[in-house]
Amino acid sequence: MAIFVLIPLLPLLACLTLVLGGRRWGESSHRVGIPAISLSFGLSILAFLEVVNHGPFSLSLYRLFESGSLAIDINVYVDQLTVLLLLLVTGVSTIVHVYSSRYMIGDPRYNRFFAVIALFTFSMVLLVMSGNLLMLLVCWEVMGICSYLLISHWAQRSSACRAATKAFLVNAIADVGLSFGIILTFFTFKTLDIQTILARAESMQDYTVNILGWIGVDLHIYPVPLIPFFLFIGAMGKSAQMPFHVWLPFAMEAPTPVSALIHAATMVNAGPFLLCRLSPLLVLSPYAMTFIAVIGLLTALFAAIVSLTQTDIKKILAYSTISQIGFMMMTCGLGAFVVAIFHLLAHGCYKAFFFLSTGNALRSVEPAHGHKHNSQHLPQNRGTLYGGALLLACLPPFLLFSGPYERMWGVLGFTSAKIGFWVIGLITIFVTAMYLFRSITSLFSQGPHISWPTSGSQARESHALQPRFVNGSILCGLILGTVLLGGILAMFWTWFANFLTPALSLPRLVPHEETTETNFSVWILVPIGVAIAGWAFAYLTSTQVQPQRPKSDPRSWQTSLYVLFWNKCYFDEIYDAYIVTPTLRFANWLWRIIDMNIIDKSIHSIASYSVLFAQWLWRVVDIKGIDRIVIGIGEESVGLSRWLWRVVDISWLEQKVGQVGKQADTAGQLLQEAEPRTIQHQLLVMILWLVLATGILYILV
Amino acid sequence: MVILMDHMISWMIAVPFVGIVVMAFIRDQEWIRRIAFGCTMVEVGLAIILWRNFDSTQQGMQFVERVEWMPTFNIQYAVGVDGISILLVLLTALLCPLCVLCSWGAITTRVRAYMSLILLVEGAMIVVFTALDLFLFFMLWELTMIPMYFMIILWGGPNRITAGIKFVLYSLTGSLLLLVGILGLYLNGGHTYDLLVLSEQTYSATTQFWLFLALFLAFAIKMPMVPFHTWLPDAHSEAPTAGSVILAGVLLKMGGYGFLRFCLPLFPEASALFAPYILWLSVLAIVYGGYMALAQSDLKKLVAYSSVSHMGFVTLGIFVFNSQGIQGAILQMFNHGITTAALFISVGQLYDRTHSRAISDYGGLHKPMPKFVALFFLFSVAAFGLPGTCNFIGEFLVLVGTSYTSFAMVLLSMGGIVLAAAYMLWMLQKVALGEPSTKAVEILPDLSNRELATVIPLAILVLWIGLYPGPLMELMDTSVTTLIEKIDISQTQPSSLTMIQ
Repeated sequence: MAIFVLIPLLPLLACLTLVLGGRRWGESSHRVGIPAISLSFGLSILAFLEVVNHGPFSLSLYRLFESGSLAIDINVYVDQLTVLLLLLVTGVSTIVHVYSSRYMIGDPRYNRFFAVIALFTFSMVLLVMSGNLLMLLVCWEVMGICSYLLISHWAQRSSACRAATKAFLVNAIADVGLSFGIILTFFTFKTLDIQTILARAESMQDYTVNILGWIGVDLHIYPVPLIPFFLFIGAMGKSAQMPFHVWLPFAMEAPTPVSALIHAATMVNAGPFLLCRLSPLLVLSPYAMTFIAVIGLLTALFAAIVSLTQTDIKKILAYSTISQIGFMMMTCGLGAFVVAIFHLLAHGCYKAFFFLSTGNALRSVEPAHGHKHNSQHLPQNRGTLYGGALLLACLPPFLLFSGPYERMWGVLGFTSAKIGFWVIGLITIFVTAMYLFRSITSLFSQGPHISWPTSGSQARESHALQPRFVNGSILCGLILGTVLLGGILAMFWTWFANFLTPALSLPRLVPHEETTETNFSVWILVPIGVAIAGWAFAYLTSTQVQPQRPKSDPRSWQTSLYVLFWNKCYFDEIYDAYIVTPTLRFANWLWRIIDMNIIDKSIHSIASYSVLFAQWLWRVVDIKGIDRIVIGIGEESVGLSRWLWRVVDISWLEQKVGQVGKQADTAGQLLQEAEPRTIQHQLLVMILWLVLATGILYILV
Repeated sequence: MVILMDHMISWMIAVPFVGIVVMAFIRDQEWIRRIAFGCTMVEVGLAIILWRNFDSTQQGMQFVERVEWMPTFNIQYAVGVDGISILLVLLTALLCPLCVLCSWGAITTRVRAYMSLILLVEGAMIVVFTALDLFLFFMLWELTMIPMYFMIILWGGPNRITAGIKFVLYSLTGSLLLLVGILGLYLNGGHTYDLLVLSEQTYSATTQFWLFLALFLAFAIKMPMVPFHTWLPDAHSEAPTAGSVILAGVLLKMGGYGFLRFCLPLFPEASALFAPYILWLSVLAIVYGGYMALAQSDLKKLVAYSSVSHMGFVTLGIFVFNSQGIQGAILQMFNHGITTAALFISVGQLYDRTHSRAISDYGGLHKPMPKFVALFFLFSVAAFGLPGTCNFIGEFLVLVGTSYTSFAMVLLSMGGIVLAAAYMLWMLQKVALGEPSTKAVEILPDLSNRELATVIPLAILVLWIGLYPGPLMELMDTSVTTLIEKIDISQTQPSSLTMIQ
C-alpha cells in the first residue's frame, strides 16, 4: 500500500532534482522527468488493479498541524474515482513529457519547463488523492501557480506575462469561494476529512447557524446546502466556467504541450472532479445542483458559439475545452456524475491528443516552410484529427442523452426544463461539430491563414526540423488510448458505471439496479445525427476560404451577432473597464486621499499646528505676556524710581531741604536778631530736644 | 554547561552587548563585520539550544531568572520565555545574521557604528520579548527606537530625516501611552512591576477600561494598525535594508506580542468589550493595506503597505479569542517576519545594483538574474499566502478562528488576500517578466554566493513551515491554551463593564 505514496512523490522528487540542479541539467532535463513520471504511471496502473480487486484504501502520512479542534493530517484516499483520474493524469503527463522533450529542444529554459510540469503533475496527482479539503486546497493553488509559471514561460513576451497574471488573478477571485466553502465546511462539520464529511452530510442537513449573532440579530442559515455553492465558485475558476472563463483562452500563450497537459487534459478538470468527489454533499442541495447545471449549460453553449467565430486554432481549442467542461458541469448538476467522469476521461485523452497534433501542425506550417499546407507531411494526422473531432462532438451526448440518465432529469425536478436542455444541448453539439470541422480543415486543407506566430518561436529558430517519428508514435499512442477508452469504455459502460458508483453519490431516488438497463437506446442516435448534420453543414459551407467572414450588410443583425461573438461577448473588455481599472483607480484614490491627504496631512497638521501653537505661545505668552510683564515691571520700576526721584528726591527733598534751608535762614536771622538775650533760651530748647529724643529712643528700644 | 543552561536568556542578552564592546577596539572593517556576524551566529546557536531545551508541554514561564535591580521601587531584572515569546526570540535571532550579511557590501561608511546598532537592537529585542518585569520591558522597548532612528537618518534614503523624525514622534507617542499604562498598572496592581504578580490580580472595570486603552494604543501604533500606520511606509522605505528587515521582521511584532502578553491576560473584560471594534479595524487594515499596496510605484513602499495588511491578520486572529485565531496570529507574526524580511532583502539586493526602488526602472529581470527571480517569486507568492508556503497556514488558521465570530469578516479578509495576489503579481510582472526597460537592466549580475546565503535560509523556512508547521504549532500550543482558558474564565464571571458602556 505504502508504495502508492510514490505516485505523487516521484514527480516531486523529479522537480526538486531539477530545481536544485539548475541549469546544469540543461538539455538532459527530460531524463529526470520522463522516468519518474512513467514510473508513477506504472504505479497508477497497479493502484487501479488494487482498487479493482480490493476496493478503496487510504494512507495517513503525517500530522500537518493541530490547533484546538482543527487537526489536519496529510493523508491520501484512493478510491475508484481517484484511480481513474490518476491514470488520466499520469498517462497524459508521461506522454506530454516525452512529446516536450522534443518540442522544447533549444529552449533556454528547458530545465525550468520540466521542473514545473513535474511539480504540476505532483500537485494534480496529490489533488485527486487528497483525503482532506485543506490538502486539496493546497494542491489546487499549487497547480494554479504552476499554470502561472508555464503561461509565462516565454517571459520576454509581455502578452504571455499579462496572460499569466490574468489567469492567476481570475482564479484567485474564484478561490475565495473555495476557501470560504472549506472554512464553512470546517465550521459545520468540525473536520476537514472528506470521507467523514460525506458520511455526516446527510445527518447535518438540518443544522442551522445564526450568522448575524454578533450584532444581536437572528438570521439562521442552513450551511450544508450552502457549501456546494461556494465550492462550485472555486470550481468555476479552475474549470473556466462563465463568468470566470476569460483566463483560459489567454492561457494559450503557454507552450503547446502545456496547453495539452494543463489547460485541456488535467488541471481544468479539477472542477468536475471536485463536484464528483463531494457528490454526496452536492445532492443535498437541489438549488446548487440547478445552479451548476445552468452555469454549465450556458458555458457550453456560449463557448461553442464563440469558438465558431475564432480564427486562432489554439483559441478555438480553448473555447472548445471551456464548452466541454461546461458539459461536464451540466452533467454533474443533473446528477449524472458517472457520465461526467466518463466524459472527463475521454475529453482529457482526445483533447490532449488534439493539442499535441496542433503542436505538430503548428511546427510544420511555420513561416519558414513558405506557408504551404502540408497534409503530405503528416498524412496520419489529418485522418486522426477528423476522427478525434467526431469523437469530441459525439461523446458527451453519447451517454448524456442515453439510457437511465434521461430519467434523472425528471427526478431532480427538471421536468419543465427538460425540453430546454434538450434543445440547447443539441444546438451545442451541432455547433461543436461545426467548429471542429472548420478548425481542422482550415489548418490542414487550406493552409494557415490563421496567425499563430508566437508559440515556440525560440524553439523553432534553432531546431527547425524535428525528428517526427517520436511525435508521430506518441500521437498514435494517444489515438490508440482514445479509441481504446472511447471504444472499450463505451462497450463496457455498464461495468464502468458499476465500478464508479461506490465512489459517487447517485441521486437518491434512482434505484441502483436500473442503471444497468439499456445502455444504447435510440436516444443516442439523435445527438449523433445532430453531430453528423453539423459536420455536413460545415462541410457544405466551408468551400469559401474564410468561412465565417460576413459578406452581408455590416449593419445586419447577423453581422452584429457575429462581431459580438467574435469579440467573445466583450467579457475581457467589460472586466477591464468595470473591475480592473476601477480597482486600480480606487486604490490610487484611496492612497492619495486617505493616506496622503487625510491621515498624513492630519499628522502633519498636528505637527505644524503644534509648532504654530508653540510660536503663538511664544509670541503671546512669552513675548507679550511674561516678557511684557517683566518689561512692564522694569519700566514701571524705572518709572517708579523716576517718580520717586522726581517726587521724593527732587520736589520733596529739595522742598524739604529748601524748607530746612529757609528755616535755617530764618533761624539764623532769628538767632541774629535774638542773639544777645536768647542764647540761654536756645540752649534750653536744645536740651529739651535732647531730652525728648532720648525719651523717644528709650520708648522705642 | 550548567552555567549556560541556568542563565540561558542572560547569555542571549549578553552576547550582542559583548560584541559591541569588542568591536569598539577593532579598526579593520572586514573584522568588524566578521565579529558582528559571529555574534549573531552565536545567538542563533543559543536560540536553537533554547528551543531544543524548551518543554512545550509545560505551562508558564521557563528559563526564568530573577535578580533585584532597584529594590526601592520593586524593580527587578526578571526574564523568562513561554511558548509565545520563544517564537519571537527565535525569529529575532534568526533575522539578525541575515541583516549583517545583507549589509556586508552595501554599508561602507561607519561600519562599526552600523554593526553596533544591529547588535544593540538585537539585544534589546530579546529583552523585550523575554522581560517579566514591566519596567525592564519599558526601558528596552524605548531602547529599540534609538538605533532604528540612527539607522534611518545616517544610512537612509533621500527623505531620511523626515522619515526618522516621523518614526520617532509616532514611537514616542506610543511609548508615552505605554508608560502611562505601566504606571497605572503599578499603582493599581499592588506597587509591583512583576508581570506574573500583576497577571494574578483582577482589576476593576474602570481601571481595565483606561489601562487597556492606553496599552492598546501604544501597541496599535507599533503594530501598526490603521489609522496609525503612516510612519511605517516612510520608515521602511527610507531605512537601509537591514533597518527595514529589523523594522518589519521583528519590531512590528512587539505590538502583537504586547497584545498577547499584556492586553489579553491582564484586561480580559476590557479586551472583550473592545474586541468588535478592533476586529473591524483589523479587517479594514487588511483590505485597506491591500489597496494601498496596489497604488504604490515604489518597491519598498509596496512591501511596507503589504505589512500593514498582514498585521491586520495578526490583530484579527488575536481578538477572536480562540485557539485557531491566536495560534494563527502568532504563526502569522513569525511568517510575516520571514517573508517580509526576505522581500526587503531581495529589494535591497536590487537596490544595491541599481540604486533605484521604482518598479518602472526594472523589467525582464528573469534573463540576467534567474536565481534572483526564482527566489523573489517564491517570497512574493508566499507573501500573498499561496497554499504550501508559510503565510497560508497562518492566514487560514486566523480565518478559521474568525469564522466563529463573523462570516462577513472572513469574506472581506479573503478579498484582502485577492488584493495581495493582485499587487504582488503585477509587481512581479513589471519587475521580473517581460522585456528589460533599459539596457542597464540586461547586464545586472545575478546573486553572488553571499547574497544567496542570505536568502536561501529564508526560502527553506518558507517552504518548511508551509508544509510542516506542526513543530511550531506544538511549541505554542500549551501557552495559547492557558491564555484562552484565562480569558474564558474571566468572561464567564459576571462583568460590570456594561456600566461603562
